[in-house]
Amino acid sequence: MKTRDITLHINEEKYNLTVDANQTLLQVLRSIGSTGTKYGCGTGECGACTVLVNGKTSILACLTLAALADGMHITTIMGLEKDGELHPVQQAFIDRHAIQCGFCTPGMVMKTISILEENPNPTEDQIRHELEGNMCRCTGYEKIVDAVQHARDMMKGETR
Amino acid sequence: MSTRVLPDFEILVPQSKEEALKLLSQYQGDAAILAGGTDLLVQMKGQLKCNCKGENAFGYLLSLAEVPGLDYVEYDETEGLRIGAMATLSQVAAHPVVKENYPGLLESVGVCGTKQTRNMGTVVGNLLNASPCADCGCAILAWGGTLTLEGTAGRREVDVDDFYLGYRLTARKTDELAVELKLPPKSDGTVSAHHKMTRVEHDLSKITVSVRLEMSGTTCKSARIAMASVAPTIVRLKETEKLLAGVEITDQILESVAKSASSEVTPIDDVRSTAEYRRDVAGVMVKRIIQKVCKS
Repeated sequence: MKTRDITLHINEEKYNLTVDANQTLLQVLRSIGSTGTKYGCGTGECGACTVLVNGKTSILACLTLAALADGMHITTIMGLEKDGELHPVQQAFIDRHAIQCGFCTPGMVMKTISILEENPNPTEDQIRHELEGNMCRCTGYEKIVDAVQHARDMMKGETR
Repeated sequence: MSTRVLPDFEILVPQSKEEALKLLSQYQGDAAILAGGTDLLVQMKGQLKCNCKGENAFGYLLSLAEVPGLDYVEYDETEGLRIGAMATLSQVAAHPVVKENYPGLLESVGVCGTKQTRNMGTVVGNLLNASPCADCGCAILAWGGTLTLEGTAGRREVDVDDFYLGYRLTARKTDELAVELKLPPKSDGTVSAHHKMTRVEHDLSKITVSVRLEMSGTTCKSARIAMASVAPTIVRLKETEKLLAGVEITDQILESVAKSASSEVTPIDDVRSTAEYRRDVAGVMVKRIIQKVCKS
């Protein structure tokens, strides 16, 4: 089939969509106005399009066919704020000035959530290893690693 | 989003293995099989993937996403590890027996792509993609095992040693689906390890080595050595393996092993390294990885 009817749950909102076979999840997200998720390289190297499946597993929207995402629960950067309050990871990125041009930030934040979901207490080395696959062309990695550590501590109820 | 868009194709989403096999026998080489997509879709975006007619596209993508019962990683002591076609790299890495008994495989999975691609890509897909620099493929070749291929005509098992026929060429027929990879259990003296050399982390390999040795004290009963990025396919260094069979591992043996490894590989110059460097380093890597597993 050239098109497929799918149901997507994006940030807890249900969408019934007809998508083209060759459309990526990223194209669909952006076409329905969920433009927080960024298009960087399109080939799975930069991580700018990172979104979460079932709130915890990080995947690349640019290499996911929308037609095969039927029934998926997707969380994007735009679904993190609750009642005007930022997610602790978003707050940590602001607190530690881990944003320069901001283009990689949505991917970095979603990736950080998935890292902390899997291991709530990563070491700096583990953080650096896990952040592979998310590129910051401003090269602001020091602040980003700092922000992830800050987020880790905030989410454990400790702040440095 | 102007660049790197996917070409036109029709998507086939079978709901059972039987339906998948039927579609595959109908479309044969016109249909590419899609598991995790982290290799295939990138190749299609780059117009690098050719169908059976040599055209830069496939008419059909056959997705295994909705075929139930292919995403398992199971272990038992007689059969060993069984990895289903849709089991992701992350799933394999998280399996307690893989952590305990298959350190070479675990290391190879851990350095294959990034967290996101490991959450999407599959171990069987890494083998089937038949890249000469495949990470898991190298560890699997070093370990040994069988791949189960299934078609409408029936199923057959192919030894991983016989799977690669040439550059990007495998023993899978166009109407066959690779459904399972089986890796035999370890024995008492089995040690294994994997080392990938890259210029920066999260890159394709310059050169990769994987070993599995059957040890009895300091004596090596038998060895399997596989390397990636040194030939048109991932390869075993069978001549070098012979030098290790039934001998005590000494510095002298390791020197001859290193020399043999360097002469057995057939690397090329490419964007990631030169043939000369790869040939030199192949011996050093084989020597060091054996030293490492013998210490552990």
